[in-house]
Amino acid sequence: MANYRCPCCRKISSDHHDLARHFLGQTDSKHKDWLKTQGLSYAQLITWQVTEFGNKGYDTLAEVLEKEAPKVE
Amino acid sequence: MSEYSVIGKPTTNVDGAAKVTGEAVYTFDMTLPNMLYGKLLRSPHPHAKIVSIDTSEAEKLPGVKAVITGKDTPGGKYGLWRRFHELADQEVLATTKVRFIGEPVVAVAAISEDIAEKAIDLIKVEYEPLPAVFEPMEAIKDDAPVIHDGFENNINNTRHIEWGDVDEGFKNSDYVREDRFTLFSQHPAYMEVHNTLASYDKGSGRLTVWASTQSPYFLQLGISDALKMREGNVRVIKPHVGGGFGGKNSTMHDSVNAAFLSMKTGRPVKIVFNREEEFTATEHRTAMHLAIKIGLKKDGTILAKEVKIITDGGAYTGLGATTLYLAGTFITFPYKTPNYRYDGVRTYTNKMWASSVRGFGAVPTVYAAETQLDRAAHDLGIDPIEIRRRNAMTPGYEAPGQYMVKSCGILPCIDKMEQRVKEKWTDLSKDEGIGFAAFAYMSGGIFNWIDTPYAFSGAMVKVNIDGTVDLFTQASDIGQGHNTVSVMICAEELGIGVEDIRLHPADTATTLTDLGAWGSRETLMNGNAIKAAAGEVKKVLVEVARMKLGENIVYDLEVKDKRIYLALRPERGFSYYDIVKDAIKRNDGEPIIGIGHYTPHRKGMISPAYGMGIQAVKAKVDRETGQVEVKDVITVHDCGQTINPLGARGQVEGSTQMGLGFGLCEDMLTDNGMVLNPSFVDYKLIRSRDMPQIELIDVPTYDPEGPYGAKEAAEATTAPGAPALANAIYHAVGAEFNSNVLKPEKVLKAIREKEKKGR
Amino acid sequence: MKKELRFVVNGDSYDIWIEPKTLLVQVLRDELGLKGTRRSCDSGSCCACTVILNGKAVKSCSMLALQANGKEVLTIEGLANGVNLHPIQQAFIDNWAFQCGFCTSGQIMAAKALLDENANPTREEIQRAMDGHLCRCTGYNMITEAIQDAAKRLQGQKLQEAAK
Repeated sequence: MANYRCPCCRKISSDHHDLARHFLGQTDSKHKDWLKTQGLSYAQLITWQVTEFGNKGYDTLAEVLEKEAPKVE
Repeated sequence: MSEYSVIGKPTTNVDGAAKVTGEAVYTFDMTLPNMLYGKLLRSPHPHAKIVSIDTSEAEKLPGVKAVITGKDTPGGKYGLWRRFHELADQEVLATTKVRFIGEPVVAVAAISEDIAEKAIDLIKVEYEPLPAVFEPMEAIKDDAPVIHDGFENNINNTRHIEWGDVDEGFKNSDYVREDRFTLFSQHPAYMEVHNTLASYDKGSGRLTVWASTQSPYFLQLGISDALKMREGNVRVIKPHVGGGFGGKNSTMHDSVNAAFLSMKTGRPVKIVFNREEEFTATEHRTAMHLAIKIGLKKDGTILAKEVKIITDGGAYTGLGATTLYLAGTFITFPYKTPNYRYDGVRTYTNKMWASSVRGFGAVPTVYAAETQLDRAAHDLGIDPIEIRRRNAMTPGYEAPGQYMVKSCGILPCIDKMEQRVKEKWTDLSKDEGIGFAAFAYMSGGIFNWIDTPYAFSGAMVKVNIDGTVDLFTQASDIGQGHNTVSVMICAEELGIGVEDIRLHPADTATTLTDLGAWGSRETLMNGNAIKAAAGEVKKVLVEVARMKLGENIVYDLEVKDKRIYLALRPERGFSYYDIVKDAIKRNDGEPIIGIGHYTPHRKGMISPAYGMGIQAVKAKVDRETGQVEVKDVITVHDCGQTINPLGARGQVEGSTQMGLGFGLCEDMLTDNGMVLNPSFVDYKLIRSRDMPQIELIDVPTYDPEGPYGAKEAAEATTAPGAPALANAIYHAVGAEFNSNVLKPEKVLKAIREKEKKGR
Repeated sequence: MKKELRFVVNGDSYDIWIEPKTLLVQVLRDELGLKGTRRSCDSGSCCACTVILNGKAVKSCSMLALQANGKEVLTIEGLANGVNLHPIQQAFIDNWAFQCGFCTSGQIMAAKALLDENANPTREEIQRAMDGHLCRCTGYNMITEAIQDAAKRLQGQKLQEAAK
């Protein structure tokens, strides 16, 4: 099973959803600024996640992380 | 259990004589020689930069001894979430800007309250108002005004909890429903206002502080962080306290300013809030928007639950971040929930901050979950008792990665309730209904956001030559009766009477740390520490008795009824008094001292044990006026082993009053950040005439985590009153609600809506 | 300009000079040091400050001290007989009719005034008489029961005294 690293810190997970959950739990500017570079809004992701049933916030970010999170050997 | 001498027996309050004679001393009653009176100047704006402060006129006023602004203070930040520095966000006085109406900006100390108030009026503060935000959904937006730098989107805290596969659970459900709620705040409304007396000793540079607090230790940390002092140089003593209910955990402006003013003037300083300040500028229950989705099988079994919460945090953190976590967990109690997902966010808004109030995290969430469950049961054609029975937790239940429930009496409680309701409420008249709500709550939290290196509770027992005992413990009795429970536990363990023990409570200098009275932790955590400390003494007594009986004796010795004797041959033993004298002689004249402590380790993410049960409310609705009369209440609860039945009953009744108030009439009205009803005249509380009788049935269990099997009683019972009431109204007239505070106009509106839909 | 206040409190005569705007509760607590009467609401809406003035229960925060001139005041400190508690006080203890205790002085004084007037009140009469008293801790029922118990004890006491 492959492992992936958070684009902004040392957090590693084999699951992109888990990485997305980690990511949205971070409130530092490094993580938030990275979202902007991906055309995402932290506020929008969180709002989806806490007002709509389902996992829209994490799902959206997980999709992006699938492409952007570097694989760890 | 009848085997106990003291535990489980109705015991009158050890502070009884003091309280009924008026002799009990509260901080409110205290003065010291040469004392000054402090007052605070508060912001009229919800959000504004502080441009300038002119205190010159105030300083000139005869009788004024000090005028301080934020810039004069050591600049330490403080708060309960100390472990996460950015969340310990409170200041002694606002320095660069104000974040809520009522935030203190200047503090004055003078020789009388009148002069201090006059001085406040002479101070000129220039503000530059900033755009403010009052609603969490607005505060989270990208274009919302930023209340704290570094917290974009005003997000103070987030929480995600998940176990199982919730989406799969919903797929497999026969019935799925979604409901959205708005839960309003509530003020703890204790009778003794916040007040602090601080005295600075010029010689040693140490502070002594008396305050109306739930935790002398938390206050010691708050003051030392704020004033950048060594903890040990701040001594906090808690006298009698006129109630706290969660609103006196945080260090508040009366304490830090009284302390600092005392340091500046070299005289004792007392600050007393008035009732208007209480309603506008002290902590209250966390309001929230809550969405809850539930998936059930045809037979009512819960397969999946999903909860989304956004809480209105107000301007600072307080204990509100804990509320966010507990909201996401207590909404699952007391049912087996195989698949669960929770997402919560706490936002800053420009209002006085919301924190912890009795039953925090559970009161608003159980309202939502229990009223939803009744509607689901109705749709599925299942009896409300039956649906709860089918889903009830059982002993040993585990929510993966979150909590484990050891003792668990919810099923026998439900059975007992069903039986009792059938016996007692045989006929319902027109527009009368019965509603149920089940509940559970922690017996203290395992959390350490306060970042203490100490054990969560410590106690020391000293036995004197005449057999009298001094019990030292930092635990706080704020009215819940813990002083009496403390003494009862010590008495039971040593086989003596309550009258033989003098309690020395709640002084950070002379007692071992205890984290205070919140989350229903004292009986379990402090009780365990006291039992351990007394247990050390008991070991000494038993050892001395064993030596006197003869070296080969290996039989069990009992310590009871002021004797130490062979369990199997009770006539062979010694008097407690003789053994004590012997023990002290044998130990070179040192009194017998036992020290004990307790910290929960590996007890899950919330608590070592949970009190639980079910409450039923019978209510009558007046269809013409919307008035609701609560006619009768039955509570069936499992608190493990009840330590003091008198105290437990008192607590259940009091918490029920607060729960019914949350449901019926307690409404903190605000407009653009301003509290519109800051007095008991306009903030309606339930009073004597409105209070129904409450029958309390105890279903004893035994929890291995608690002293003698005891766990929490009566913080849990704050939660069910409102949903049981709402359910009673639902069954009486079919009206449904998606918020609390069921005032007549709201009830009428709901009845009309129901009539339109057709019953 | 201070004015003279002459009154009797708990059987003791006082003659003091006070500002006319001083409330009765302030004189009791701050001048006479009788801290047992508490203050809580600043709006005359909680009854924690209740004392008995010439036999009637009054809110001492809602009247000027000078209105008590020439009158007799009974506060919580005046109830016990030396070290012997008044039956109402004992009934409150035995029925766990207080928790934090901050409203208790007011409750007990109002109970005394009620029982002096109506020796055998019904539950409803007690609830009505005590309705102004705010208590956040107890939920009121145990206070009502204590007052019912106190009524019995006082009647028993009367019978004993009559028999002597």
